[in-house]
Amino acid sequence: MGEAKNNTAKWVWLTGRHNRIAYIIVGLFFVALPLFMPPYLQGVMTKALIFGIFAMSLNLLVGYAGLFSLGHAAYFGVAAYTSSILTVRYGVESFWLAAPAGILMAVLVAGAFGFIALRLSGVYFLLVTLALGQLLYSVALKWQTVTGGTNGLINVGYPDLGLPGFTMNAMSFYYLVFAVLVISLFLLYRLIESPFGVALQGVRDSETRMRSLGYNTWLYKYIAFVVAGLFAGVAGVLFRHYSTVLVPTDIGVLASTLVLLMVIIGGDRVFWGPVAGAILITFIVHYSSIYTPERWPLILGGLFVLAVMFLRGGISIYLVKLWKRLEYHYGSIKS
Amino acid sequence: METILLNVLNGITFGIMLFLIASGLAVIYGFMGVLNLAHGVFYILGAYFGLAALAYGVPFVWAALVGGIAVGLVGLVVELVFLKRLHKQLNEQVLLTLGFVYIFANLARWIWGPYAKVIDAPAIVSGSINIGSASFPVYRLVIIAAGLALAAGLWLFTEKTRTGSVIRAGMDDKEMTTGLGVNYGLVSSAVFFTGTFVGGVAGFIGLPIIPVYPGMVFDILLLALIVIVVGGVGRIEGTLLGAVVIGLIDSLGKAYFPDFAYFTMYLAMIIILLVKPSGLLGRGK
Amino acid sequence: MEALRVEGLCKNYGGVRALTNISFSIKVGERLAIIGPNGAGKTTLFNILDGQLRADDGQFFFFGKDISCMPTYGRTRLGLIRSFQLTTLFSNLTVLNNTMLAIHGILPSRFQMFRPIISYKDLYDKAHELLDSMDLWGRRDELVEAISYGEQRKLEIALCLAAKPKLLLLDEPSCGLTTDESKDISTRIRDLGTDVTVILIAHDIDLVFDVAERIIVLHHGEIVADGTCHEIQCNSLVKEIYMGSEATVG
Repeated sequence: MGEAKNNTAKWVWLTGRHNRIAYIIVGLFFVALPLFMPPYLQGVMTKALIFGIFAMSLNLLVGYAGLFSLGHAAYFGVAAYTSSILTVRYGVESFWLAAPAGILMAVLVAGAFGFIALRLSGVYFLLVTLALGQLLYSVALKWQTVTGGTNGLINVGYPDLGLPGFTMNAMSFYYLVFAVLVISLFLLYRLIESPFGVALQGVRDSETRMRSLGYNTWLYKYIAFVVAGLFAGVAGVLFRHYSTVLVPTDIGVLASTLVLLMVIIGGDRVFWGPVAGAILITFIVHYSSIYTPERWPLILGGLFVLAVMFLRGGISIYLVKLWKRLEYHYGSIKS
Repeated sequence: METILLNVLNGITFGIMLFLIASGLAVIYGFMGVLNLAHGVFYILGAYFGLAALAYGVPFVWAALVGGIAVGLVGLVVELVFLKRLHKQLNEQVLLTLGFVYIFANLARWIWGPYAKVIDAPAIVSGSINIGSASFPVYRLVIIAAGLALAAGLWLFTEKTRTGSVIRAGMDDKEMTTGLGVNYGLVSSAVFFTGTFVGGVAGFIGLPIIPVYPGMVFDILLLALIVIVVGGVGRIEGTLLGAVVIGLIDSLGKAYFPDFAYFTMYLAMIIILLVKPSGLLGRGK
Repeated sequence: MEALRVEGLCKNYGGVRALTNISFSIKVGERLAIIGPNGAGKTTLFNILDGQLRADDGQFFFFGKDISCMPTYGRTRLGLIRSFQLTTLFSNLTVLNNTMLAIHGILPSRFQMFRPIISYKDLYDKAHELLDSMDLWGRRDELVEAISYGEQRKLEIALCLAAKPKLLLLDEPSCGLTTDESKDISTRIRDLGTDVTVILIAHDIDLVFDVAERIIVLHHGEIVADGTCHEIQCNSLVKEIYMGSEATVG
């Protein structure tokens, strides 16, 4: 029987001068986006970048710590809800107050849930993260007075940055999201390259060895869990401004599995893979809802199966190979 | 007095229904270590295939079998073509089943539409019996009987037959069974077929009680997961006990603490995971 | 000064008595080999000493300190380091990162979350030194899964040395190696200073006689002999256990 070629895809580091060109090109593309993309597509890209942050946060657990969580939307959702509730029910208008509060809530919940979930490993870890996510989902569903239940929480517009004479619109919100994404990517990149990040990957590869090298492996997993929750919360507080209404399904298993799809299809072994996955999936869902209504789960499921079976590095590995080939041709033309 | 009795009976019925739902998942997880996240999808597919058979005039019981076998075949294809190639990569196998949830649930929606399907119980068992002044549908008793029969059948098979002891051995130690010269591949395919078959049949015979629609796939999966976590994996008695416990918690919870009923199942699962991860009657791992 | 003192260790698995009443002590700088047929309990003993398993009975003291209940990472910080029979490296990381991790394990900067690990100059130099001594410096940017088995075994030992060991538990260090590679390993073990104490599990009798001054023989979980190489070679019980084959070498 053929063996699926997956675990041979290596974790890819793209450092070095020639690769910086790629980053600059991509960066320019995103910065110039509003110039050539019509507003409704801009909005889709904004959503894609928000989910990019969300997917990156999950990959800290899945790709770098080796922890498969099926309840990651809990922190995303709780941050979105907290920030919304503060504005809608308690009149907290300022983004600089509501957003940190939302993120703080996500961190607290991740701290509590991580404590419970990390008592277990493997399949049991998966199950308990799922259960915890659903627990929060049922809170959102039942606590109608606060969360609006299935009717959801109606949000009003873009963040209020409190800058005199400046009200945010779709374009400036896009830039805000892009800026937050870039900052998050930078912080996460430093985290991965730091002693903590390399140690986390060590825990993923061989927890036994790490312990015998002197590392308290539980603590590493726990901190990673909380940091992942933090960045999910960052995505959540941005999402709350993008989406006109927040519903409990944004916390539950559907959201959690969708973001896992983004991570796997995008590629959990290339640093920016999850962002690529988020962009791809968000656009697939968008276009599919226009041309082939309600077929996107089929398309995504198919891509997901292909990714798991044949390309465990996701689409990002393809993009990396493509870039390397371009580099090679460019290099041979130069000489 | 009779309300308590009624609640308990409802709880037991729901519990047995949960057992029917969960046993397929328990068998596959117990023997292969693969958490078949697509279990909920196979459940609804069994209902849909069975309904298609009914529409062709096939009698109820045969329709249930047709539904089950059709689903079993789908499961077999998934196992042979995909799961087998991910031999020993448990994470990837679980991820794969997740992909199939999306694919099959959407296909089901495409073919049969998003709205719930429900049927009446077959005429001979469609009445009710009286318990005091309340009436209890006879079909629910049929469900209880079917569940107990399944439990007995599975128990006899795994405890008393040779293939059964192989499967039991596999549940405890996979390497050992291969070492004993057993064709692990053949047995795992058979186990997967059986697990999905049971799930599909459950979907169909549950129709008079539980309407089926594509959006319920994760709900069914979650119920099955809670049962196997609480009851433990590796013994049929465990799955049965877990199912009945959850059924009772849910039923009594809904009756006496309506606001918290939804929580209690998840709380029970989390508590069990923390205190005794192998479940109430599970073998310690 | 006693590096390690073991008193009355017992371990049962179900009905099987893996270890019964294991007691011995070892002085600083000593080179001890533990040998015995398969299933004698050697790896179980190591697993208890390094903390992966809890003994059912008995205690052991590391430089006078009772470490019987200490978690593995705590023992490492004290200087008790163990290598593994089955290569347990970080297969998705480079040789360099493997080594840096090992060096960092006992340092507080291992929790640093912002500065890249390779910017720690002094640790980088230490890794350079260590990998150089194992002839692995040229392979530092390769992923562990890409280097040869012999190189992986050397890296195993390099990782143990990186953590500043006072007591090294080496579990089959030459397992699967060629004669030349084995000789290389025994030289490196011999070259460790007198402040490093070594306990070695090995089936390779050449390695044992090359490195060890003292041998303990385990059989069915019990110590059946404890003495110098010469004493063990002459021990008839030991010869019987080994069916008179390898114990007569040397």
